[in-house]
Amino acid sequence: MSTIKAGNIKKGIYILYKEQPHYVLKTQFVSPGKGSAFTRVKMRDMRSGANIEFNFKSHDNVEELDVETKEMQFLYHDGNEIIFMDPRTYEQLSVPRHILDEQALMLTSEIKVYLTIYDERVIGVILPPKVRMTVTEAHEAISGDRQTAGKKPVTMESGLIVQAPLFIKTGDVLLIDTETAAYVSRVND
Amino acid sequence: MKNWQKIRRNPKLKQSLLVRERVIDAIRAFFKSRNFLEVETPLLVKRPGAEPYLNLFETTLELPDGSSQPGYLLTSPEYAMKKLLAAGLGSIFQICKSFRNKESLGGTHNPEFTILEFYQVEVNYEELMGVFEVMILAIAEATGVENGQLIYQGKTYDLVKPYPRFSVAELFTKYLDLSADELLDLAALRAKAISLGYDLSGLDSLATDFAWEELYNQLFLNEIESRLVDFTQPVIVYDYPAPQAALARKKQTDPRFAERFEVYLAGMELGNAFGELIDAKEQRQRLEADLDLRRQLGKKDQEVDYDFIESLEAGLPECSGMAVGVDRLVMLFADETEIDQVLFFPASEIFIDEATTPGVK
Repeated sequence: MSTIKAGNIKKGIYILYKEQPHYVLKTQFVSPGKGSAFTRVKMRDMRSGANIEFNFKSHDNVEELDVETKEMQFLYHDGNEIIFMDPRTYEQLSVPRHILDEQALMLTSEIKVYLTIYDERVIGVILPPKVRMTVTEAHEAISGDRQTAGKKPVTMESGLIVQAPLFIKTGDVLLIDTETAAYVSRVND
Repeated sequence: MKNWQKIRRNPKLKQSLLVRERVIDAIRAFFKSRNFLEVETPLLVKRPGAEPYLNLFETTLELPDGSSQPGYLLTSPEYAMKKLLAAGLGSIFQICKSFRNKESLGGTHNPEFTILEFYQVEVNYEELMGVFEVMILAIAEATGVENGQLIYQGKTYDLVKPYPRFSVAELFTKYLDLSADELLDLAALRAKAISLGYDLSGLDSLATDFAWEELYNQLFLNEIESRLVDFTQPVIVYDYPAPQAALARKKQTDPRFAERFEVYLAGMELGNAFGELIDAKEQRQRLEADLDLRRQLGKKDQEVDYDFIESLEAGLPECSGMAVGVDRLVMLFADETEIDQVLFFPASEIFIDEATTPGVK
């Protein structure tokens, strides 16, 4: 653990707030009409999964957490848990689904991710920036529907629904951006 | 990718950027129709203002004889405009750039931003709230908002006046159950912050005034400002604790508070206004105290703009003035959440993304 000034909190780090590990989603400089500056931090409570916001005085001391990362492979969903496996030792680990939140829909068979571990507990899952996924359901495009500007919803193997170009068919493999859950391109194997 | 490249690829994007032109046209038309004079005051100044917490852009004025002296980019055109009020120009407005250093890039901040500053003579700050309400509606109309119902990020905001008004003391009571006496009292703020689980270890080294100001601001930001987002109209917050308003006059009925108001909409602070302090002696004391504080904070020493004090001694008309963040208005009317989306060349692009290869990012 190392102490940093709140003004130096950056997106993507883990900090201790109210004695719980939090993942920093966004920071913003805030200056009240008069008085010293504040740092507005949007963060996720890694124990509860709740997103919260707090304004730190920029010179406040904050504990940045040294987290350990471990490469793991996704196995399967089990209710509110997600099961991963260490590909070298075959050791299995179960992670509460809320830690991934909506990104749980980005998990596809055998995808490799990095688990972030703090205090012997998994507190975060880092996905690759893009994943390949197979389309399980794509309806024929309805011509003349201008509202959707050449896009249609298609369902992916994980249950994720993305807006994809009209030419996409069931069975196609698509590249999906894991941060925005948006279609990137079709993969031509 | 740079904004100009994005626009070249997708010409529709320029719509958001061109909202600026319509907002500024509407502001000009509004003030001109009310017989305000438009003025232009320098951006490069010698006495940039004493605000202890603002960070300056510093440069050097060099003369042909080899002599030089420090110059600064202004943080607000307030002093120069008040001198023009003393000169007897009457009600005036200006749309200009202002500069603040050491603020993060993006979000709602850009180090160089556009400010609307206006002063109306012979009106008090409550009347000025009304002027602001009418101006917002005029801008809304000019930017194509129907019936004053602004749709911003999927939520509808009613811009038709009157806007809800709350004093700072009312808000502390409403959201923190603290009275006016308590909100001015460090011990009461401290007890409240502890009950909310705040870490106050950083406050122990601070003098009482500093500690109060920090806690007041932190509670206001965390427990009050964050709740103003729930309103579907602009919210006017008025009567700030006197230490929070260096250039505002104190309330005659309760001098612990000053005639200042701010307007919030959709989580953004749109503007800040004062019933202007016109007492030269009091203004001088406050500015000198601010400079003391500036020195204590280890910032570069500045001198009081005595020319400004002299203008107050000569006599300023009774007036109220307001500064409005034009970029934030543009964000609202363009339905954008980032200031970088309403600037052709945001500073983040100029200073951080400079080395990117065209078309690749």
